[in-house]
Amino acid sequence: MLLTSQNMNFIRTLPWAHTFHEWIRIDAPVLIYMVKVIIAALLALWISMKLNLPDPRTAIFTVFIVMQPQSGLVFSKSYYRVLGTIAGIGMSLVIIGMFSQDPIWFIAFFALWIGFTTAAGFKYRNFQFYGFVLAGYTLCIVALPVIETPLEVFDIAVSRFSEVVVGIMSATVISDIIFPRRLLDSLISSEQERFHNVLSTLADSRAVFAPFDESNPAVSRFSSGVVGLNAVRINSSFESGSDQKERQHYSHLNHEYMNLSTTYHSLKSIVAPIEKTELMDALEYLYAPIVTALETRPEGAVNPEDLSRMIGELGKAKQEVQNRFESEHSHYKENDLYISAAYLIIRLLNELHNHCATYLSLLKHRLSGAASKELSRYVRFSTHTDNVLVALAALRGSGVLLFTMMFWIWTAWPYATLTITMAVVIGLLLGTLPSPIDGVKDFFKGSVLALVFAAVYDFYVIPAYTSDLLTLGIVLAPTLGFVGWMTTRPKLPIFSFGFVFMFMSQCALDPYYKIEPTKFLESSLAALIGVIFGGMAYLLVNFWSCSLTQQRVSKILRQQIVSACDGALNIERSALESTGRDLVQQFSTQGRLNMRSSRLVFEWLLATLEIGRAILTIRRSLKRLQEDFHSIHFTMALESIKHFFESPSQIYRETLLERLDAALMVLRRGTFPEEKGQRRRYETLIIEFALIRTIVFNSTTFPLLKEESCR
Amino acid sequence: MPLDITLFGIQMPTLLPIFVIAAVVQILIDRLMADGGLYNYVWHPGLFRTAIFVCLFTIPCLFIYR
Repeated sequence: MLLTSQNMNFIRTLPWAHTFHEWIRIDAPVLIYMVKVIIAALLALWISMKLNLPDPRTAIFTVFIVMQPQSGLVFSKSYYRVLGTIAGIGMSLVIIGMFSQDPIWFIAFFALWIGFTTAAGFKYRNFQFYGFVLAGYTLCIVALPVIETPLEVFDIAVSRFSEVVVGIMSATVISDIIFPRRLLDSLISSEQERFHNVLSTLADSRAVFAPFDESNPAVSRFSSGVVGLNAVRINSSFESGSDQKERQHYSHLNHEYMNLSTTYHSLKSIVAPIEKTELMDALEYLYAPIVTALETRPEGAVNPEDLSRMIGELGKAKQEVQNRFESEHSHYKENDLYISAAYLIIRLLNELHNHCATYLSLLKHRLSGAASKELSRYVRFSTHTDNVLVALAALRGSGVLLFTMMFWIWTAWPYATLTITMAVVIGLLLGTLPSPIDGVKDFFKGSVLALVFAAVYDFYVIPAYTSDLLTLGIVLAPTLGFVGWMTTRPKLPIFSFGFVFMFMSQCALDPYYKIEPTKFLESSLAALIGVIFGGMAYLLVNFWSCSLTQQRVSKILRQQIVSACDGALNIERSALESTGRDLVQQFSTQGRLNMRSSRLVFEWLLATLEIGRAILTIRRSLKRLQEDFHSIHFTMALESIKHFFESPSQIYRETLLERLDAALMVLRRGTFPEEKGQRRRYETLIIEFALIRTIVFNSTTFPLLKEESCR
Repeated sequence: MPLDITLFGIQMPTLLPIFVIAAVVQILIDRLMADGGLYNYVWHPGLFRTAIFVCLFTIPCLFIYR
């Protein structure tokens, strides 16, 4: 909060109010962030100089690494940086203690460790990834310089750790004290935006029943941000004042949104092929109460009273939809398409009602601390990482290390250790970017620019103008601010990272000024060669193409269905959904999908989620249904679903459709159970089998055969 | 309290374990205060947190350097 509301009111009366407001909103945060970075970096420099730490550059570098505009990100990144540094230092002590006499074992163990950290970094999300990166390259900066004098490893280990801690303390304290910006606030505003989005999309019945239109932004928006917001929620848990209950609400909201989005898209994909006929009119008639209820939706900022009124309307709509369904049901009893679509509409409404209730509870909790809804349990966001991608990353990490080690041994160049460090950093850090090779190019450009800056500082500014810490701070401040500004630019993250990395390794910030031109030139050259080696690794070990990605994704998705057929029954729907979404998200950043194939993969995902969920529901219902109502046709239908997705072919598809028809026939012709619970399970079986049949029958795209969308 | 202590055969300044213990205690207190909703009544939670940590860390230090 920069200004109180009273001040804001005063400012609004001024003639240049609009400009000022824009400046406050867009430019001021950047300026504040720059000031924060400068203060934190100089604080770290000052403390390390006062404590006589041998390499104050590490402390400043740490500040730049962990510094982020929002405090939650700083805490979370710092936490993992400390853990990663501890692991890396521990491993350095082990490796130097055991293998410093034996180059072969030393290199082999080193390569294993780098491979392991790269793989693990790839497997984990958010800043956990960063912890593994640190664990990998800390080994380079601790173990490699002392290879000739192994006994010094303890000194280096202790001083590296102290420098990192000093940097982290400075960054976290400054970012939490000076104009803190809470991550939770941005979470709140994006959650609110998403909520409005949901309501307005669902209120538009024409969009629901129209054929799929990629240009309609509301439709394509209604699936994004699930993985991203989950990451924000995790990082915000490190902030002060975010209590557990609030975070629990957010994680529930995220899951409900995910379910809503799946139901919505499934409904759309089912109704899309329907012609404008009587059936369509019947479905629109069924959907109409939802539109009526949503007409009362609050505009702008939501307050609890309006929202609870709307929830009341939604409750009435639920009853109305149920009545309409029962009156129409006899007419369309045998129509699978109607049954599935009606089921999805009812499910959509239930989920919407639930989502609104959770949102209301969050609002009440934030306003008065009294949540209106007891959230049952903690819902887990499961992730899935493809093992092929992980193995590829590990191979690349170890490979680049072995190659640069050979370079070191062959050339016997003392500065080649810098080459190794740089190549490892590139291999570890840029691996998860969408296009690593462009990242390496940016990194290289940043490094070259940094060398120019460092040269000016080392040979002109520092010897000419600095006499003590104060003057050093004053001459450094502009460059530190410049780096801070660069890191806020969305287009320059890797460029600025390269800049920071090189500037901090070449700038003469030692406790005593010592720099020679030859050393400067040789070490810069070694580092640049390292960047090039790292980039070459991305060029060589990268056989990932669009069609390969599609094959991989379709294989994994089909496996999900197969495991739903015969795996454990206690899989939650939320686990199924979050795993699938996380998987597709990862492949669409890693796997170079074009627009068309991304769309295709998303449709596959929907079909998989819907079929997987239906299979699990069928299996659960069958388990609780009395034996008298069982039929061999149900298990046969499930079996043929499994066969079809294990090895898809046209014959299996026809068998599957036949068996589904047979199962549905048995269900519809058979006697319905009298008892209420049994009857409900019996009806569930009809609905779910009909749904699977509709999806299999109608879907033109499936995670099955190789599609030609990559061309 | 002594200026240096020996832990597992390694001599280190007493400040170091005090720092670690203070950090752990601070994290626990912070969780409690966040879940209890105390931060809703504090003007500047970040400053408040830092101040509490400074108190936790410096009080034992005073006994060392008295």
